[in-house]
Amino acid sequence: MKTETAPEAPAVPPAAEPRPPARALPVWANPRLGLLIVIAVLVVLFSSLTPAFLDPRLTLAPLQADISVYVVVGLAQLAVLSLGHMNMAVGRMAALSTFAMGLAYDRLGVPLLVGLLVGLAVGAGIGALAGLLIAKTGVNSFVVTLALDFGLLGLVTILYTWATGGVSFAVQPSGLSALRFDTFADYCMGEVCGPRIPLVVPIAVAAALGVGLLFRHARLGREILMTGSNTVAAELSGIPTHRRVVAAHALSGLLAALAGFLLAANNGAFSANIGESFLLPSFLAPVLGGTLLAGGAVSVLGTALGATLTQVIYKGLNLLQFSLEELKLYIGLVLLAALSLDRLRAVLAERRAVSSS
Amino acid sequence: MTVVLSAEKLVKTFPGVRALDEATLTLTAGSVHALLGENGAGKSTLIKILTGVYRPDGGQLRLPGPDGELRAVQLGNPQDAQRAGIGVVHQERNLIPAFSVAENICLQHLPRRAGLLDRAALRTEARRCLDLLDLDLDPDLPVSRLSVAQLQLVEIAKALSAESTVLLLDEPTASLTNDEADRLYGIVRRLSERGHATVLVSHKLEEVFAVADTVTVLRDGRSVAEAEPLADHSREEIVDLMVGRAYQQVHLAARTVAADVEPALALDAVATTAGHHDVSLAVRPGEIVGLYGLVGAGRSELAKALLGLDQITAGEVRVHGRPARIRDVGDALHRYRIGYVTENRKEEGLFLDQTVARNTAVTVWRRLARLGLVRDRAERSLVDEYADRLGIRLASPDQHAGQLSGGNQQKVSLAKWLAADCDVLIIDEPTVGIDVRTKAAFHELIAGLAARGMAILLISSDLPEMVTLADRIAVMREFAIVGELDNDHDYDRMSQSVIRFIHDGQGVVA
Repeated sequence: MKTETAPEAPAVPPAAEPRPPARALPVWANPRLGLLIVIAVLVVLFSSLTPAFLDPRLTLAPLQADISVYVVVGLAQLAVLSLGHMNMAVGRMAALSTFAMGLAYDRLGVPLLVGLLVGLAVGAGIGALAGLLIAKTGVNSFVVTLALDFGLLGLVTILYTWATGGVSFAVQPSGLSALRFDTFADYCMGEVCGPRIPLVVPIAVAAALGVGLLFRHARLGREILMTGSNTVAAELSGIPTHRRVVAAHALSGLLAALAGFLLAANNGAFSANIGESFLLPSFLAPVLGGTLLAGGAVSVLGTALGATLTQVIYKGLNLLQFSLEELKLYIGLVLLAALSLDRLRAVLAERRAVSSS
Repeated sequence: MTVVLSAEKLVKTFPGVRALDEATLTLTAGSVHALLGENGAGKSTLIKILTGVYRPDGGQLRLPGPDGELRAVQLGNPQDAQRAGIGVVHQERNLIPAFSVAENICLQHLPRRAGLLDRAALRTEARRCLDLLDLDLDPDLPVSRLSVAQLQLVEIAKALSAESTVLLLDEPTASLTNDEADRLYGIVRRLSERGHATVLVSHKLEEVFAVADTVTVLRDGRSVAEAEPLADHSREEIVDLMVGRAYQQVHLAARTVAADVEPALALDAVATTAGHHDVSLAVRPGEIVGLYGLVGAGRSELAKALLGLDQITAGEVRVHGRPARIRDVGDALHRYRIGYVTENRKEEGLFLDQTVARNTAVTVWRRLARLGLVRDRAERSLVDEYADRLGIRLASPDQHAGQLSGGNQQKVSLAKWLAADCDVLIIDEPTVGIDVRTKAAFHELIAGLAARGMAILLISSDLPEMVTLADRIAVMREFAIVGELDNDHDYDRMSQSVIRFIHDGQGVVA
């Protein structure tokens, strides 16, 4: 063994290992770019098949409003995909939160913003509860949130019956109809009017920017991603992993509540069926955008593009007068095709980047 | 001597790297053949070609046909390699925990009758493979109930089940105790008496010299020694061949430890829920205290109990003289400045799918953050600093940790604690699976940290490493400290004393 400590002995130079190849992924391996191209192709296709697709008032404005809802729905799922967890109760969390909003408007007559904050708090609270159950019991998030979804399904129905005698609040808080019908084109300064963008769009954009900032630069978001990447290593690096799990699920609940609010604004009613259509799209948007189900990496931009793609397909097929069942069939097929392509792309990229012995 | 495998002038290139550059390997029946080389020399690539995982870009692989004549073959996938009689035991476990021993052994070719599993034939076949190893193990036992050593042997039985004539063992003793390793090598010798050819890849040269009879040394993808009798070489010559130049000594920084200074970390008659009792230790600033013991003696468990992962039930832990109550790793890190470099870097130390920058900065985001936001520039300059100090070779700070070589990974796993400005560092098996040269660099690094005033508790099963580095050596056996020695750096004397403690274990409660 080398136990001598002769001071004149030269220091051992760094090992001459071959430099590991940098992860230079080819351009086609970027899922965001692929999505953008597919969206562009579909927009061209749909507008050539049916010119009504480009009608700003009848098609494009509602399309943007729909996209806004489903971007936030996707972000709600992305918040826990970051951990490698799932939130199967994303729709019902939205339903419970919008019930709380409706109740606040109906019984307390609070302003629009205050009711929204109440709902967001309820959403974050129910999400935190799910996170707490998962962190403390160690039971798989899929199972916990699935059970929670089932429980909330009953609870929401009971609550609506108790509060409204039906399935919907009649209340219309002031400002809701502006969110529903107005675009910036309706607001003018002298001769200059805004673009024909619905008022809900900036809310979704702000949510996306906030979530993006969180996961990219905030200590909290990064620590959530590290927990998702390797929980044991995260704990051994001093990250309070339980609290990070709770935080991610609370964020998921909060975003579900926001999505519920946006949908209620689009529909013009706070009703029990809000969130029913959230579950599949919530996975579709992030997964199409390249977020891994395994955790540790998220793409907010990809989620936004994924949500846009699904809504473009939906709207296009709808205008081409496909039935609701056919719509579902095609959306399912698109998802399967996208996931297979994604896997193929990942495998090809991996082969290129495979490191040395 | 019958040649059972001949790999000639194999070439394999990856983007930017020529992993194999006309490497040659020849195996004869009944030999135990050591395949040596530093990390990155091309051993894993060669093994992956022999097992059909990679296809070579050049050269050819020849195996004996039915008539015994060597013929060029193409191994398109791992199944081809198995059919050609090449069995492999990888460094990582590849058994299915819920399946029985017999099912795992025969997994690749489960015997079937009328389309259903033939349980009787399965058991017979498994029994046959276990008998080859003289292994008395119930074939119906689920492998989740086996010890690490037993798992290793089942892996070998599995490799033999396909009637393999060539057996590749990649670091087979990395997680075994000395006794278990001896037993494993006894089996390897018996297999070679029966005509199997074994390829042994190991960083432990003592073992290689005890077991192997021929050796091939790879360096930078080339064979610098081809199937030479091991007896013709000394240990130093082999190391020279591996590193490719005259052997160099480590230069450890000189240190002085003031005896009257308050220990940075002191344990006084500590007992834990993990099962420790009467553990007393003290590490002063600038001192390296070794914690030696066999695998399973409770050393890593002690480190984890100190970090709050287990409870301390009796005794006292003091940090810089003040009683400490450490609830979790965050507490240890932020309140007491204690860091723990795990022995298990892939599972516990690193985030393999995250960038090196994040792997390094994870412990200091709290400090780097302004208003909860971390600036990338601060993170990058931190990584540059530590990559420079530790000699981590990076293409970019955005490289994923999983793409680095073992030695560089270990350095990244250490870097986050240095970045966090710890003044007590518990380092657990720092050089397992790391080549000779990087190991020497690590020893210099650790001594250098102590020289700058860090208190280091070094956990290691590598006795030469202990004798090189430690100022004092505490010996742990069955979750208790059974003795402590001042290290006089005389390897023979120290190893005898340490071994005596381990086997006679004074004051041990069963």
